Amino acid sequence: MPIPRVPHPSVRAFRLRNGLRVLLAPAPRSLTASVWVWYRVGSKNERPGITGASHWVEHMLFQGSPRYGKGEIDRAVVSVGGELNAFTDSDFTAYYTTVPREHLAVPLDIEADRMTRALLTDQEVARERVVIHSEREGNENWPEFRVEEELYELAFRRHPYRWDALGRREDIVRMSAEELREYYRRFYGTRNAILVIAGGFDPSSTEREVRRRFGTLPGGGEDPAVRDIEPAPRGERRGELSGPGTTPYLQIGFRSPSLDDPKTPATILVDTVLGGETRLFSVGSGWGRSREHPSSRLYRGLVDTGLAVRATSEWRPRLYPGLFTVQVQAARGTTLDRVESATLKLLERLANDGPTAREMDDARTKIRRSARLAYEGASRTGFRLGYFSVLRSPRFEQEIFRALLRTSARQVRARASELFRAEARTVVRYLPTKELADD
Amino acid sequence: MTERSDPLRIERSEPIDGLELVRQAPPAGAQSFAATYLGPGGWGHDPVGAEGTARLASTLLTSAAGPYDRVELARRLDRAGATLTSQCAPESAEVTIWGPAEEWADLLGLLAEVVLRPRFERDDHRRVLRQLVERQLREAAQPASRADRELLRTVFPRGHPYRETGLGDRRSLGRLRRESIVRFHGRHYTADGGILVVTAPARRSAVERVVRQHFRGFPASAAPSLRLPAARRAGTQLVKVVLPGRTQVEIRMGGPSVARDNVSYPAAFLANEILGGRPLLSRLFQNVREKEGLAYYASSDLEAMRLGGYWVAGAGTGADRWERVVRILEDELRRLREEAVGTRELRTLRESAIGEIPLSLESTSDAHELAVEAAYYHLPEDHWRSWPARLRAVGPADLREAAAEAFSADGAVTVVAGPVGRR
Repeated sequence: MPIPRVPHPSVRAFRLRNGLRVLLAPAPRSLTASVWVWYRVGSKNERPGITGASHWVEHMLFQGSPRYGKGEIDRAVVSVGGELNAFTDSDFTAYYTTVPREHLAVPLDIEADRMTRALLTDQEVARERVVIHSEREGNENWPEFRVEEELYELAFRRHPYRWDALGRREDIVRMSAEELREYYRRFYGTRNAILVIAGGFDPSSTEREVRRRFGTLPGGGEDPAVRDIEPAPRGERRGELSGPGTTPYLQIGFRSPSLDDPKTPATILVDTVLGGETRLFSVGSGWGRSREHPSSRLYRGLVDTGLAVRATSEWRPRLYPGLFTVQVQAARGTTLDRVESATLKLLERLANDGPTAREMDDARTKIRRSARLAYEGASRTGFRLGYFSVLRSPRFEQEIFRALLRTSARQVRARASELFRAEARTVVRYLPTKELADD
Repeated sequence: MTERSDPLRIERSEPIDGLELVRQAPPAGAQSFAATYLGPGGWGHDPVGAEGTARLASTLLTSAAGPYDRVELARRLDRAGATLTSQCAPESAEVTIWGPAEEWADLLGLLAEVVLRPRFERDDHRRVLRQLVERQLREAAQPASRADRELLRTVFPRGHPYRETGLGDRRSLGRLRRESIVRFHGRHYTADGGILVVTAPARRSAVERVVRQHFRGFPASAAPSLRLPAARRAGTQLVKVVLPGRTQVEIRMGGPSVARDNVSYPAAFLANEILGGRPLLSRLFQNVREKEGLAYYASSDLEAMRLGGYWVAGAGTGADRWERVVRILEDELRRLREEAVGTRELRTLRESAIGEIPLSLESTSDAHELAVEAAYYHLPEDHWRSWPARLRAVGPADLREAAAEAFSADGAVTVVAGPVGRR
């Protein structure tokens, strides 16, 4: 079966004088319009004491500005049948609103207003503190969250990637409203944002509208480089947690280069061969893995053999060197020693022998095939254009696709060999307490 | 937009060998296709003592079928850029395939293989059983899923199809043999009682031709029926599930409710939207999160099915706050049942629900969900076209009456699961 061309929406791109980058992706037949604003601010910009500030500011941008009182943003969008939300990552924060196309002016007005004029009042910051605390508590109920948080805290000693975007518990308790306002003033603004509009609209009149609403905003918003360089690891790091849970669980992280690394295509193929897909190209407007991948190496080596009930890998594309992780949920009655040993052997095999020709062909085809439908709908289009743009450029996806075709099995083997070194490894185990043994 | 190309209208064909066929046009500009087989394979049909049968059968369907073993089936899908998923519910089971529009006919053939000729291989059987055991443990260990489970178990009596979550228990899973799964499949994945919903860029006649070609050989058995015993109508009660070591308490409040064919369903639907169903605007979200700042989420759901239904309101909050949240949930439910909704609030929520219809047509998979719902509940072909008019016909008095029935306090239960102190 020939590998099809991966379609890409036609995009009108321009930059306003105040620095705001704008991407318009019109789809004349679409009944909806989706507006995304991506800011290059995330937990990478935080420091101990204000961890979680990016996420907290994200919440506060729904809590009022001079034009929109508390709750009015939600009402303005939802009352016309729209939906809106936002999410915070280590490298960026994104806000989106999808509305019936005739209401495109509603999100444009909101985004122009809150880009520089959100209020972050003391009273609303205090109320939101409990909500954020509650969000964190909900996550802490999941062993997977606790293990991942511990993994990054162990694997990194200097770089801000060591804390989760939700922030540390003690910082959520302590952080002041003034610190949040200062953070917002520093990082939010036209120079640090990308506006993406996708769906059913006329590009010329929409460009005029964008210029009118956003063109008068003052230029602002910093995107400073992170200066805390993480030193090279000099040996394996290990951690162990215990608590309520089901069966033993394990995450192994390996230090991996940033997205800019020329070997990124090979890393993507390592991830696809091992885990079945790669996060960068997961279909849909969200993230993460959509399903099981029975043909992947980890699945065949760990789930099929009865050692695990779930096994996957994840390479998260990041602006700075991060982690390539492997996650395994053991089957009932299996020890983590066995699971860990079997997992490391599978990684070692890929590093020694490389992928087979069939695996390479399958992985390339799968990535490109799954991407074919990824731009269906205004919301997905807005997500993907913005995501690739905030990481590199709207064309980054196409560049990677081309590079994948040029990447050989030998390069994938070499990449696996560089990645899966013992001295670059961090292991966190989770041992469930006994409460359910007799349940 | 002509009727044939309007994704808000479904088209029914004459049954093909007993199988109902429903076709929907994809939304404008869509490039994908979706098809779902729905059949009476839900866990309400689990044999007594063999709970988990339906879910095991449903999961195994997508493992290996016809000429494809598990790896080859996965490769076939990957190479087409398609996905195959199965789901199980109390009354029904469904299998959905989604992929590129130009391959709709081939992919429909693949769906037929999966529904009609699953292999139920022994290795897959053992693997899925191991996974189900872990899911059972997860259901018991996680406050959210544990609260859901305890709510249903308290609201519905033993033997009621809505009482279970389909995972069975360790003993019942231990009894599931391959032969019993094969038998269950033969009796419950039938043409009679089955519906095939196809969202494809093809005329009805073309879809009928492809379906005739592929969907032959269903077992001749008649669709099994499901019995719905009366739900409990005890007074309200509070169930505490103490799960030490967790950080958050999950609250669920719920009780029996109306079926989807209830004449007051549109009013009950709006009542739920006002209570906690409509994101961000609902009373629960506004009061619990936005006004009081007590929880990250608070919402409600109305599960109106073919035979009956239930309502659930819930929130996740800290161990020191759950009692305050429970009081707010109780107050809001009482207000919904007893007080007329203001015209302005009703209009805002109703127009929001109507306004979001275009968002349901963003992609084939979104639109397909509308067709599946209309097909399963035997709704009129123009149901989604006429839905706004039916919602606009609901007045405050209708809404209060419907709320009193659909969110009745009679038989309602509150469950709190997590770090809630001693049992």
